[in-house]
Amino acid sequence: MGFSRILGLATALALAVTFYLVFVWAPLEQAMGFVQKIMYIHVPSVLVCYAAFFIAFLASIGYLWKRKEGYDVAAYAASEVGVIFCGLTLVTGAIWGRPTWNTYWTWDARLTTTLILFLIFVGYLLLRRFVEYSEQQARFAAIIAIIGFMDIPLIHQAVTWWRTLHQPSTMFSRKGQMIDDPLKWMLYLSMVAFYLLFAYLLTKRIQMERAERELHRMLANAE
Amino acid sequence: MIADLLTILKKDLTLDLRRAENFIAMLFFSVIILLVFSFSLPPDEEAHQSLAPGVYWVTFLMSGMLGLSKNFQLEKEMGCMEALLIAPISRGAIFMGKMLGTLVFLLLMQMILIPVFSLLFYSPAMGFFFELLGLSAVTALGFASLGTLLSGLTTDVRFKEILLPILLFPLLVPLLLAAVQIMSGIFAGQGFQAELDWLKLLVGFDLIFLIAAYLTFDFVMEL
Repeated sequence: MGFSRILGLATALALAVTFYLVFVWAPLEQAMGFVQKIMYIHVPSVLVCYAAFFIAFLASIGYLWKRKEGYDVAAYAASEVGVIFCGLTLVTGAIWGRPTWNTYWTWDARLTTTLILFLIFVGYLLLRRFVEYSEQQARFAAIIAIIGFMDIPLIHQAVTWWRTLHQPSTMFSRKGQMIDDPLKWMLYLSMVAFYLLFAYLLTKRIQMERAERELHRMLANAE
Repeated sequence: MIADLLTILKKDLTLDLRRAENFIAMLFFSVIILLVFSFSLPPDEEAHQSLAPGVYWVTFLMSGMLGLSKNFQLEKEMGCMEALLIAPISRGAIFMGKMLGTLVFLLLMQMILIPVFSLLFYSPAMGFFFELLGLSAVTALGFASLGTLLSGLTTDVRFKEILLPILLFPLLVPLLLAAVQIMSGIFAGQGFQAELDWLKLLVGFDLIFLIAAYLTFDFVMEL
């Protein structure tokens, strides 16, 4: 059995256990009720999305530095998976926002930063589509990923001064008990499941991209 | 390096001034945008005071885009790009020359745009001419740095007219927010004092992306 198959099985198992426990074991949150369970998708998605974009950023630097195609493939795969999870974060956030804030969308700092992050990396993927597949495409995309990633702290600072409504981060807050224990453990478990899913999607996407490029090369040689 | 930079700057400015149509097109485009805003927004003077900064900077962004897209187009059409790249000058000098050319171009446009803006949209603006020009210089620097990098990057790309704004505008969010806030402060009669934090953010943005664009430009312009 290959590595990716083991990873796939582990992901399926972890997701199944997580979803079972979310609906059967995890207690209802007192203030928000049933709708709060969307947190187990929302929070892991956003963390996976950050991890993915960070990998894309590091791999892009690696590509410009070492010029190994592997870095480019990793950056492409990571940003594509990252965009999916970023979109998932925005959608689940909107669904969660409707009953709790009484609005699907609001121009809050975190929401806005996430949206702009999403747009930057959608632009990155579009650039990949519009430039012919080549070493040039890899260079250009790497520059966008690096510039885009460097912009995030500035964007975040700017929109924070602009306006803020989102609850502060529950996970990394230092203000002590912001979240009950069972909910916290449930969240940790769903995070593990989502990171496994991310790792699985990433390896699959990298394999696919490699195969696709190999095919391109063979076709080019045949002509 | 400085001499190379000045040569390129001089060449670009000479070309721009001799073929004035670019400049005139940009100017009339900004007048048309101001007209569109005047028609589509409520006509009373009070509303205009709160809308004025946003209208001004959106006009700046839209007409600035025209200035950017012509940046490398000329080199492409005449086949000068290869000659420029073969020339024994650093890529950094090419970048700085192009960037300063865009900056001068933008500032010339602002000098005309401010009176036109005060004539068509918000009459008190003329009273703050020099503050606005100073703010425009700081804003245009960030815009020109990122804009030159990205317009160099998209020169060869299909659908570059659409791709350039898609890539550029999300990255410029902090710049736009800061410029709008500082301008509101200026219109409130407090000069730059009112929004010092925003000014720091704006200057920080300029420095970070001037350096980042200068460094990554090498990778855009590989033969």
